[in-house]
Order: sequence, then C-alpha cells, then structure tokens
Amino acid sequence: MAPGRVAVVVEGRELTVSNLDKVLYPEAAFTKAEVIDYYVRVAPALLPHLGDRGLTLKRFPDGVNAPGFFEKRCPGHRPEWVETAPGPGDRAGPIGYCVLNSAAALAWAANLAALELHAPLARCGDIESPTMVVFDLDPGPGRAMAACCEVALAVREVVGELGLVCTAKTSGSKGLQVYLPLNRPHSHDHTSSFALAVAQLLERRRPDLVVTTQAREARREKVLIDWSQNSRHKTTIGVYSLRARPRPTVSTPVTWDEVAEGVEGAPLSFEAAEVLDRIDRLGDLFSSALTVHQDLPAPRR
Amino acid sequence: MPRALWHGSISFGLVSIPVKLFAATQRKTVRFNQIDARTGARVRQRRVSEADGREVDLADVARGYELASGRYVILTDDELAALDPRASRTIELIEFVDQGSINPILYDSAYHLGPDDVTVKPYALLVRALTETDKVGMARFVMRGKEYLAAIRADQGVLALSTMLYPDEIRPVEEIPELDKVNEAEVTEAEVAMAHQLIASLDSVTFAPERYHDTYRQKVLELIERKAAGEDELIEVPTSKGTTTVVDLMAALEASVAAARAARAEASTGASAGPADPVGPDGTDRQSA
Repeated sequence: MAPGRVAVVVEGRELTVSNLDKVLYPEAAFTKAEVIDYYVRVAPALLPHLGDRGLTLKRFPDGVNAPGFFEKRCPGHRPEWVETAPGPGDRAGPIGYCVLNSAAALAWAANLAALELHAPLARCGDIESPTMVVFDLDPGPGRAMAACCEVALAVREVVGELGLVCTAKTSGSKGLQVYLPLNRPHSHDHTSSFALAVAQLLERRRPDLVVTTQAREARREKVLIDWSQNSRHKTTIGVYSLRARPRPTVSTPVTWDEVAEGVEGAPLSFEAAEVLDRIDRLGDLFSSALTVHQDLPAPRR
Repeated sequence: MPRALWHGSISFGLVSIPVKLFAATQRKTVRFNQIDARTGARVRQRRVSEADGREVDLADVARGYELASGRYVILTDDELAALDPRASRTIELIEFVDQGSINPILYDSAYHLGPDDVTVKPYALLVRALTETDKVGMARFVMRGKEYLAAIRADQGVLALSTMLYPDEIRPVEEIPELDKVNEAEVTEAEVAMAHQLIASLDSVTFAPERYHDTYRQKVLELIERKAAGEDELIEVPTSKGTTTVVDLMAALEASVAAARAARAEASTGASAGPADPVGPDGTDRQSA
C-alpha cells in the first residue's frame, strides 16, 4: 500500500483513506482527518435526511482556497457497497448519483475531499416527488444574514397563514434556507409554482427587502428568494454538509428563536465542532423535515 | 415432465374440471454471476444491519412498511396470514368475453392448464367450446395466498391461463411526458395516407413468432464460448480470500485529529500570526490528494 494510505474499517465496511494530515481549510488549519471525523460523527443526524437522495458531490482535492468541482456522476472507482441511484441526466440518459447511506459511505466521500454534499428535493426512490419546498434566501450586495432572517420570518408568516409549518437552516455560507416539509406526493411543478407564488407575494409586501429575480442589479440591498431551486434537476446544500468557506462552516438547522435573534444581528454561523455539540444538546433541529406531513394548496388550473 | 405448480379444478356450471397448472414460459436470458474484478472471487450478498454492519439471521428479519423515512410499522407473518384469501382449490369461471376486448397490457404471467389423469372428458369439452366460440373465460382463483384474476383460453388444444394485473396496477398514461404535445400535433391527410401505405407494404396479417430470435442472447453465448475456449481468458475463482490488515477508522483518525488540534492550539497561543500554511502538522508538505 502506498505511503499515506490506510486501510480502515467503518461499521464492518472496508475502505482506504489517504493523506489524513492534508490541510483542506488553511485558515482554520482543518485537516482531511477532521473532515472525515466530522462526517462520521454527524452521520446519525445527517443520514435520515440525505441517506436516500442521489447526491451531487462538490470536491476540493486541493483545499478550499483552490477551485472545487461538482461531481454528479458517482465516481466509478468506488467500493461496491457505495450505492448509486439514477437521477436527472443529460441527453445520453439518466446519471447514477452517489447514495451515501452509511457512515462508511460518508467517510469514503469525505476522503475524496467531497466537502459539500448537494441534495435534490426528492428521494431517490421517487425522483418526481419532492419531499419538501425550499425557499433559498440569498443576500444581495449590501445585505447580510440579518436581512435573510427577516425574510425567513416573513416566509414563515405567509405559510403559517395557510396552516403550514416550516423550518430553517443556514446555508453554511452567507444565506439562510426555509424548508416546508411535505412528505406527501407533490410534483416539482406544484412545489415550484407554490414557492414562486409565496415569493411574489412577499415581493409585493416588502418591495424594500425582497426580490425574486436573479439579475444582480435588482438584488442590490435586497434578499433574493430563489424559488427556482424547486426543480427536479436542481440541488441545494444538504443539511449538516460542510461548506468550502475559509472556515469549516456547516449548513446548520436553527430554531425560529435563533432566526429572530439573527434579525437583531446575532451571528448565525456554526462550524463543524459547534454543530456536533448542538446535536448533542438540542438533537436534530431539522427532524420536522422527516416527521411533518402536509399538503400544499391545490394548484390553480 | 414439468412439475405442476398447483392442483385444483375449474368450476364450469355444474361441471367441475380437474386441472394441473404448469408454467407456460421460461426465460432464456443469459445469467451472470457477480465476480470481484480485482480478485476473481464470487461476490456474495449478505443481509447486514444498518446499525452495526453485522450480518442478520434470516429468522430475525421482519417485514417493515415505511410510513415516513426511518419510521416503520412491522407486520408479522401471522398478521399477514390472517388476511390471506381463503385457500381454495377452485378456478371459478365468472364470464366469457371476446379476446379482442382485453387490453394486452393487463396480461401478467402465462400458464398451461393440464388435464387430470382420469377425468379428461370435461376438459376436452371446454377446450372445444372455447375454440369454436373463440371466447376467453375470465376466472378467479387463489394460489400461494394470493387471489388472482385470470383469463383462460384454448390454445392449440390445451387450456392456457394468463394471470391478469388489476387496472390500478397499470400506470396512468398521463405520467408519460410530452404526450399532450402529441395530441396537439397537426398532421395532414396526405401524411396520414402515406403512413397507411407504409403499413400496407409491411402487412403480414398474422404474426409468426418463430421468425424472431433473441440475437443478443446468441451473441452473448458465442462470446462466452470463444472466451471459454481460450483458457488464459478465464477468471480463476479462488475459494477463500486472503487476509489484509485493516484498522478501525476512528482509531486511524484519532491521531491525525489530535495532531491538527494541537497544531491549532499552538498557533493560537504561539507568536505566529496569519493563516496557517497548507502544510501538514508534522511539517511535511502534502501535495497529492
């Protein structure tokens, strides 16, 4: 075996990890060993959410200061126990996406420096049925997390008027995401038109704060509600995924109290170690994404 | 002689026709075994627990129906057996229909019904009546704890039985994308006439299945024979695997994680400022991924 490579066993599955001491986050001196360690430890909370989705890996083999690359097609050189599932492909047909359904599979991906796990809204068993609606809140120039928190509360108010509940997580980068769990059959068209309707309603209510168009100039001093993420071929950062930011920040579920404090400027950013500690203390704050069953209003014809 | 899958009798008015059920088809797809391409060893599938990766004994495997992700209701064998349709030995004919009125997509598996050793007369009677009327008998019967809808017809002097799918097992055509565009597509009379002409030029009236062969299967079998003839291309299948030393992942990570934490602690208390170099904590440069 080449130097730097170690054959290890995780939960009875064998894999080879390499270059454990390589620093992937130079500013934080956070190594690949720590990335793998994080993913194995966060697995019990992460797997129920992402374990049965065809994931897109974003890999950073030279660390976060070098450009990474998205990998939709699951690498062919994977152990046989890393499963794949067909997902949206190109003209040549569907693509086999990685299904990371065990701590061992997460460790394998982490060893490939797949820092970011991007997930579709549908499970791989039924890629036509999103299990939730996402409102991806992205601050434009001149705005930051506090404004995202304000918009998140406004989204919660609107869906609450419809008798629906939602939950929030940080993107682990600059923004915030509000998720509305469904867990009942809905089409991507339905969730997408619902998200657009809510976004446009908020744009009318808060023209000073909310924008629904991607154009950069329109987004100045505003928060973009990116409703278009509700599409069968799009992915958003998975819950508990690391981000390739200067520090090892994580897409972290937050309470609505924390979002309210965020409006007042409380920092809403969590790193790997803090996230593991939060799970120990608070449990899985994203569990409603699995347990809540609700229906969107019927689409207008 | 093939083995009968089921014994019973067709109830046909006041007559009871003893029959045996035989599989009518056999798949000839070339079957492959899974082989580890690196070592040539047979790949074995095992039932393992997601919790600890340990093998689970078949006796400990329960049936779970997933309500929501990770939440299951467990159904026991006894509970399911209580729901089983009343076992019966009767194929109950309900009605007779024209074969053309059955959507072929509903046909599931094909069986032959053989006559009983002694009472052959009622069987002969039903074969002849179905042949002369050109009708299909729709019937219900229970086999292996499942109730089937079946179509019985006469085929070259023997009774053929097809189990049928229930209508709600057929996927709605609305699921097919772009179909609405087909309905909106405009075609001219001249184009339709040309399509008719093309069909007429290829018209054979009756379908002769013996004219068709699975050419892919033949090619695969030929390839296997060629490879088997050249001994060196055969993959040796070792019977037992060699041992490799493996260590627990968390144990392997422990030292690395501790070293990284120590390096950070030193950096924050020590005099050095600014971002750390992309260099391993032991000072060696780690360039390769």
